[in-house]
Amino acid sequence: MGNQFLSVLLFTCAAAQGLRASEGTPVSDTHYDLLSNYCLNCHDEVEMKGDVNLDHYTVDWTRKENRDLWEKALHMLQEGHMPPEDEDQPSDEKRAILTSWLDEYLLDNTPLGGTIPRRLSAEEYRSTIRDLFDLPDYELPLGFPKDSEYHGFNNVGEGLVLSPPLMEAYAKVAEEIANTVYPPTQIAPPSNTRTAGPEEMVLSFSAAKVKDDALLLVSRGQEIFRSCSWPSRMEIMASGVYRITVSAAKHKPVSDEPLLLEIRARELSASDRSRAEIFRLLKVMEVPSTTPNTVTFEADLYEGQTLLFRWANAEMDHGYTEFAKHMREWWSQDSRWLAAWQHAVFPNGDFSEKRVSVLRGLNGWNIITKALANPDLDMSNATMDNELTVELLKIADSNSGMFNLADVLCHYYFTNGPALEFHHASIEGPLKIVDGPREMLAKKLQRQFTGNRKPDQSDESFTREILTRFLPRAFRRPVDKQTIETYLSIAKQHWSEGNSFDDGMHLLIRNILISPRFLYRSLDPAEMDDYDLASRLSYFLAQAPPDAQLIKLAHAGRLSDPEVLRGEALRLLPDHPSDALIQSFTSQWLDTKLLPEIMPDPVFEFSDEEIATAKSEVEHFFAAMLRDNLPMTDFIDPDFTYTSLKFAKENYHYEDKGSSGGGAGYEEGDSEIGRLPMPRGGRFGGLLGQSAIMMATANGVDTQPVLRGVWVSENILGKPPGEPPENVPALTPDIRGAKTPREMLAAHTADNACSSCHSSIDPLGLMLENFDPVGNWRELWPKVNTPIDSTCVLPDGTPIDDITDFKAWLVDNIDLFSQCLAEKLMTYATGRVPNYSERKEIQGIVSQNRKNGNGFKDLFLALVTSETFRTK
Amino acid sequence: MTPILNRFGYHTIGRRQFLRAAGALIALPSLESIAKPLAKAAAATRPRNLVSIGTYLGWHQKAFFPKEVGKGYGLPPILEPLADHQEDFTVFSGLDHRAPNGHGAWSNFLCGNSPKNYSMDQMVADQIGQKSRFPSVQLTAGTGEGSKAMSFTKQGIGLPMIQRPSVFYKQMFMSEADKERMEYMLRSGKSSLDLVLQDAQRLQNSLPQNDSDKLEEYFDSMRSVEKRMAHQIASINDPLPTTDYKLPDSDPITPNLLMEAETLMYDLMALALDTDSSRVLSFFIDGLGQVFSFDGTALKSGYHGLSHHGNDPEMIRDLIAIETAHMHCFNGFLNQLKEKKRPNGKSLLDETIILMGTGMGDASRHSNANLPTLVAGGGFRHGSHIAIDGSKTDAPLLGDLYITLMQRLGVETNAFSNANRNLNHLFS
Repeated sequence: MGNQFLSVLLFTCAAAQGLRASEGTPVSDTHYDLLSNYCLNCHDEVEMKGDVNLDHYTVDWTRKENRDLWEKALHMLQEGHMPPEDEDQPSDEKRAILTSWLDEYLLDNTPLGGTIPRRLSAEEYRSTIRDLFDLPDYELPLGFPKDSEYHGFNNVGEGLVLSPPLMEAYAKVAEEIANTVYPPTQIAPPSNTRTAGPEEMVLSFSAAKVKDDALLLVSRGQEIFRSCSWPSRMEIMASGVYRITVSAAKHKPVSDEPLLLEIRARELSASDRSRAEIFRLLKVMEVPSTTPNTVTFEADLYEGQTLLFRWANAEMDHGYTEFAKHMREWWSQDSRWLAAWQHAVFPNGDFSEKRVSVLRGLNGWNIITKALANPDLDMSNATMDNELTVELLKIADSNSGMFNLADVLCHYYFTNGPALEFHHASIEGPLKIVDGPREMLAKKLQRQFTGNRKPDQSDESFTREILTRFLPRAFRRPVDKQTIETYLSIAKQHWSEGNSFDDGMHLLIRNILISPRFLYRSLDPAEMDDYDLASRLSYFLAQAPPDAQLIKLAHAGRLSDPEVLRGEALRLLPDHPSDALIQSFTSQWLDTKLLPEIMPDPVFEFSDEEIATAKSEVEHFFAAMLRDNLPMTDFIDPDFTYTSLKFAKENYHYEDKGSSGGGAGYEEGDSEIGRLPMPRGGRFGGLLGQSAIMMATANGVDTQPVLRGVWVSENILGKPPGEPPENVPALTPDIRGAKTPREMLAAHTADNACSSCHSSIDPLGLMLENFDPVGNWRELWPKVNTPIDSTCVLPDGTPIDDITDFKAWLVDNIDLFSQCLAEKLMTYATGRVPNYSERKEIQGIVSQNRKNGNGFKDLFLALVTSETFRTK
Repeated sequence: MTPILNRFGYHTIGRRQFLRAAGALIALPSLESIAKPLAKAAAATRPRNLVSIGTYLGWHQKAFFPKEVGKGYGLPPILEPLADHQEDFTVFSGLDHRAPNGHGAWSNFLCGNSPKNYSMDQMVADQIGQKSRFPSVQLTAGTGEGSKAMSFTKQGIGLPMIQRPSVFYKQMFMSEADKERMEYMLRSGKSSLDLVLQDAQRLQNSLPQNDSDKLEEYFDSMRSVEKRMAHQIASINDPLPTTDYKLPDSDPITPNLLMEAETLMYDLMALALDTDSSRVLSFFIDGLGQVFSFDGTALKSGYHGLSHHGNDPEMIRDLIAIETAHMHCFNGFLNQLKEKKRPNGKSLLDETIILMGTGMGDASRHSNANLPTLVAGGGFRHGSHIAIDGSKTDAPLLGDLYITLMQRLGVETNAFSNANRNLNHLFS
């Protein structure tokens, strides 16, 4: 009975409290009447259209969910989305009365700040380990949990959840690092001799061929899987000195010059796509004659390595410019040779059929051999100025075509020579155990971790010294005595159980790396302090823990001074395309992180190198915008772009006034990325014309206008469309190609439920339809072969013919884009999505900046010194 | 929800809210009625293992799919090595996930319509994997680059694969030295954890409420790490399986030794199943530019090159030679599983569902439609070629077959990716 009474009483109190909390601020009659006339028909608690109820006579502005609701209403009013077209519209004055009321209350009631403690993102975690242990190449293990994206970024507090599998992964990494610094002892295997003949060698693509008991090598290309060979079963099990014997001879030589055989030590685990030059050169062996020459020498070989063989002065090279030059010369000297290649690539003697990707190795060579032997070989096109020859040269110098043709040419050399004959190689050892890279690295890391022990210093005092120095670095702020003693006792306890000093260090590293003080940031007792500001700035600009100078300024309490903060931001400002902020931010904001996973359809003849160049363009461009303080409008319509001459010619219809050749025949350096002038107002140049972005918004095979439209809304205009309703099936792609994408998307605008969002999404995507899935310009829709119709009407009523019109419109409305980019930067920097008041502050910064020249660097620095940035 | 009062100061339940609530009530009984028949179907004889095998470059469709439908079909070239087992497997044609095309979408094989989503093998592992030492094992032959993955966790994380047979062998049949090291790591790790947590607690106490709440994630996660360690310490002296099987001195990890690597991995998988070390095994067979030699003659081009055969008959012939060699290795696996008899008289093959397939329908065109698929073992009625007409809009999906497989393994599900039926009416 008593209990029941108590609970009733409690309930009553709670109810009373709830009532008080919900009283909030009254909605004035003026505002309520306006709401009632224009909104409540649909948005009262009975209709609740779109789950929105605006029928309140008081609003408790302190509650976030209420602010979110009214913010949404304000947005709809401002954008003119509400009331719907077919309803009564308020006059501009009336609309302004409502919007300024909401604006005022939202501003007054939305406090700045709100970042929750966030664990390091995987990228930050990796770079923190790199920095802390001076392991610049450290990579997280495969299968390390990925961060979930939240509002487009992987470093936002709400998205950075710590789960048991992630904790397990942290513990594993901690163990791995401890093992790197203090490796477990290994037992050396006994010495033996292993021999590899031609049959035990790897044959990859057309890199080598076994013929008459010898292995032939013919190319000096750097990609090992196109030019080199290595033994299948000769993996070194213990680092040591080995005696190496190699036997090789000339095969059908054309000169008396000795052949040079490079012998390198390759890690068997390294990618077969690696370049030969990254592997340690053991010896260059001279091969003077057609009788096998045997050379024996001693060299260090490390655990996990094997030998790699490359003919360093071969006639042919799998290198873009080299190969094309070689072929051009050859074709110009021998017209039958040219005719045979023309026949292989253009079997009909015209452009009606082109075979490149099917000319694989011996298959292609057989076609050429047959053609050469054919007395009736069509010679009518076999001149250098013939259009087939021009195209052939272009293929020989294109990224994907070169490999195919070169792999065919290898077989010419296998058949006719000259080639290098490899006979056998043997390895005897280990003759002596030596420190391999692992042991050498460990010794260096141990010295760094412990520093030097003073004479007669006890383990305990030495370790206290180590921790006093290391913990503040690991935890990125001062560490009190008690914490140091706690960690010290971990080592002490371990020693007391009979373990060595090194075992204690090993255990300490494992434990420090799983402390929340290491794993989290924004762990301040109350307001953001200078140390946390140092971390925020440093992880933002360098994706790394704060350096000594930042910590020093934080220690002196000076970092929060906006002038000092600005100075530090300038000091750490990234200016190089490979800098962490530029890589990480652009790849997330612009989704170029998707590129490595997109395999363009072979019809686009877009190689891996081109994908890499495309991604790199964006980074170079962004770096220049920031470094050179270029105006925000240059993001959209600049008079330059960053690309390679070769890429620009092949993908951007770039015409180089200086060169005479019709596309083929690139010079040294034409594949390097640099600044290339481009007229303003064109199709290419600016973010929207960059290949990487058009690729990231397609799937490598076909374009999807809806996805591109959503992407532009979200990442360029800063207006993310709402989630699509559930239970609506995606449009089935029309594989038979009976309809154009525009005709298919008409279904969206026909349906009222779809059209409210799609009417502002689809046009943006259709406008970009001229860019194919790799960002090349096209005039026709594939399959249906009808001209692309890229016209559209922007939500504000502006008619657009194509991308150039859109760019002009965006330049006129540049604040839209600047605000979008500024908010993205702020989200990435602070780990929270800017709220109403913060967006207002950003808006002020954006429009002020426009008045001062609109430089990107200026905007960037203003954001760093803003209150939003400096608030926890 | 915040209590929000209307202008007149009292609550009303909106019409929409009421309808929504009523809808939920009506839905309940029908849910229950769907679940029942599932449980019954799985009761009688249930296989316990799942082996999923995927080849990166797929299978040449014309040499994989039998010409005839139903039982007694003539073996197509690639399947010839499996002649002794024709009554122990079923070939499926016309199935796929309606997934995007391209190598990049290869992982649709086990992930369904959205590549890199929760894969079927991991769904099974999460349900039944805990019953064995390793909830699931991911293996590969022929890959050296480590960027590919076939199995994905619920969170969409691609699981790394073991490339070296010796590594998998050491995990299953641990040496005394390895065991000692593991025990040392576990015991030292666990005993020091208390002190780290003590310091973490002190940190948490210094934080404002909101932040301190967020840190609970850390403590929850640490508790689970601690539990795992305790469990491992407790079972460290459990007897481990032993074997007479010996591996060669060096791991065949160079690309030209792909077939040898496959053979070893099949041997080890048979051992893993026989010793109940793991019930969910996934095996990825990569393809690079390696040039294979069969009977002393090198093929005309590398494996990847041949897969882009452009309908050249000689290249197709060489490609089929490689794919037939894969099936020879696979045949050795089927032989072993069939020979190993269980105490109840059944073979290990009866207890094991083997899914052999790929995420690539036609590598020459990078098409991911019509995925060549074969299912062996698991006590199904085999011996047929089940041909699906994939051009029909309501045609069964590969995911429907996966649902059948999962149900057979005791995973009660009616949905996988874009599929929500099953293939029990065609295959049981």
